[in-house]
Amino acid sequence: MFKKVLIANRGEIAVRIIKACQEMGIKTVAIYSDVDKNAIHVQLADESINLGDPTPSESYLNIQKIIKIAKDTGSEAIHPGYGFLAENPDFAQSCKDVGIKFIGPSSKVISLMGDKIAAKTTMEKAGVPVIPGYHGLKQDDETLIKEGKKIGFPLLVKATAGGGGKGMRIVHSENLLEQSIESAKRESKSAFGDDSVFLEKYLDKPRHIEFQILADEHGNVIHLFERECSVQRRHQKIIEETPSPVMTPELRDKMGKAAVAAAEAVGYTNAGTVEFMIDEKLNFYFMEMNTRLQVEHPITEATTGIDLAKWQLRIASNEKLTLKQKDITQRGHAIECRIYAEDPSNGFLPSTGTLSKVEPPKGPNIRDDTGIYSGMKITPYYDPLLSKLVVYAENRNECLNKMIWAISRYVVLGVTTNITFLNEVLKHKEFKKGNISTHFIDEHFKDWTVTKDGLPIDAIISLAVYDSLHTKREEITRYKEADPHSPWKHVGRWRVGGRGI
Amino acid sequence: MFINYEHENHVYNVTIERRNNFFFITYNNTEYKVEAEEIKPGQFKIKIADRIIKSIITEGEKEKFVFVNGQVFKVKPIELTGKKKVRKKEEGNLSSPISGKVVSVKVKEGDSVKKGEVLMVIEAMKMEYLIRAPYNGKIKKINFKQNDQVEIGQSTVDVDKEV
Repeated sequence: MFKKVLIANRGEIAVRIIKACQEMGIKTVAIYSDVDKNAIHVQLADESINLGDPTPSESYLNIQKIIKIAKDTGSEAIHPGYGFLAENPDFAQSCKDVGIKFIGPSSKVISLMGDKIAAKTTMEKAGVPVIPGYHGLKQDDETLIKEGKKIGFPLLVKATAGGGGKGMRIVHSENLLEQSIESAKRESKSAFGDDSVFLEKYLDKPRHIEFQILADEHGNVIHLFERECSVQRRHQKIIEETPSPVMTPELRDKMGKAAVAAAEAVGYTNAGTVEFMIDEKLNFYFMEMNTRLQVEHPITEATTGIDLAKWQLRIASNEKLTLKQKDITQRGHAIECRIYAEDPSNGFLPSTGTLSKVEPPKGPNIRDDTGIYSGMKITPYYDPLLSKLVVYAENRNECLNKMIWAISRYVVLGVTTNITFLNEVLKHKEFKKGNISTHFIDEHFKDWTVTKDGLPIDAIISLAVYDSLHTKREEITRYKEADPHSPWKHVGRWRVGGRGI
Repeated sequence: MFINYEHENHVYNVTIERRNNFFFITYNNTEYKVEAEEIKPGQFKIKIADRIIKSIITEGEKEKFVFVNGQVFKVKPIELTGKKKVRKKEEGNLSSPISGKVVSVKVKEGDSVKKGEVLMVIEAMKMEYLIRAPYNGKIKKINFKQNDQVEIGQSTVDVDKEV
């Protein structure tokens, strides 16, 4: 096993990996940009090295700086977490070139899976079902439009190098095809430096179900069942659960085998995730493979009892997978809610500011993977994920009740978050029934706002008590001097410069 | 004492008095008699008739945040004396929803546009945000060009409404 590992990430995932290392007796090296100098991962690690400029390309995406720090600190391996350099084949190769173990699959596999076209072709050959589409190399508008018409509408334009919904467009009719292709190409060019796209049949109300796999460097591959990740906004997941409410033992067996076949087809090693789309008739299609630890990995850990981060470390240090497929079982139900600094009533735009208070809920089978603390500044430099709340219970219904209990007690003040939004999604009657698809949020929460009913009386009373106890004497005098007969005092709630209520 | 709170463009007028061990809070012609305890700084247990309100309050730079019943409310206390300037949103002033880079400008000054038409594309955190025409009208002024950096709240395009 490694003696020292560098964690090339920040936030909750860096914290989670450092904890796994520490439990295993591995020394840890954290890296941090100037804005993260007080971050939890920095405090927790055995050593912490400054990267300077917070711009991602100068900090957490800077391969040279990170490799140099790894060498200088004598780190034997680098764990990339997710995001940043986790799926960057050049980074994996650079590690290998200097004799540092990259904790993940080989550079070649990352490249192959990162190229969505090549990935699909490979999977098709391996007998894994894929969605009909155009994955050709001819990228001129004329060809793309012709192929698009062949597939029919609605169809999806997707960046070949894309991920997380970036460079992706849904096209509902022929006359919108050209402009969608153009805009997907532009977004992809700027995000990934590559503007090739592919087209595919768009499934109506699909579910997004993925399978966790673990593969060692000795040819052993297992899967650890599914995660249902259909509840998404902007094509990014916000609530995940396992087992999926639609899963049957037969389908699970079939999809699990397909996931293992997919991993074997490319000689995959370490932890990975095979993503599938499922249509309403429960046909499944390979979508892509994520060559890293997923954000939502804790729900699999909760229901299988297996620590994925620790297995990543063991596999990377060439240990054999001692887990056998037949011994892996799934019990109970787990749900994860992603807490984001974003405003659901304003297009889920990221929000920034200072967290004036953070107080996560505590209780049996409640896990909070977090990177935030009271007083922390949320900057626009990085992904707005603040923490992940994960709960586990005997069955879906109890799990849902537990999550609603827990998230209702998650205090994050100072920066707008999606907590209230998540709470309402969990309470939605269709979500309760498990009746979800990737369109769930658009369908049921299109013009959602948090303040339908204004400020409740409980908040008004609390504020009044607070101000009564905290207002300084001289300020009270000033308040008293104000005209006691002012009509403003008697009208209750009114609206500034607007129509009536 | 009289306090006005502003929340989402609504103003709430509240009076509060402390007598003996009680707080008397009047809002919307109703008086609430409560007992309150600050358990930890900013954390309250308030007894009102037969129920208990549990809440947490913190102060930001300009505003207060109230956590109660699983929800967060952002509230600005407003000065009672002196008239509050009504900040009327200038119509046709399209402020940027985010800090980012202008990737394309779809119109030029003097162009006629239809409601919903894309005027400008801004990119931030690898996502694209579209600035759309709020109504039919004419482009009065474009404040940024391609590749410009735009900050949140800055006016992107001014559109004169068609009359």
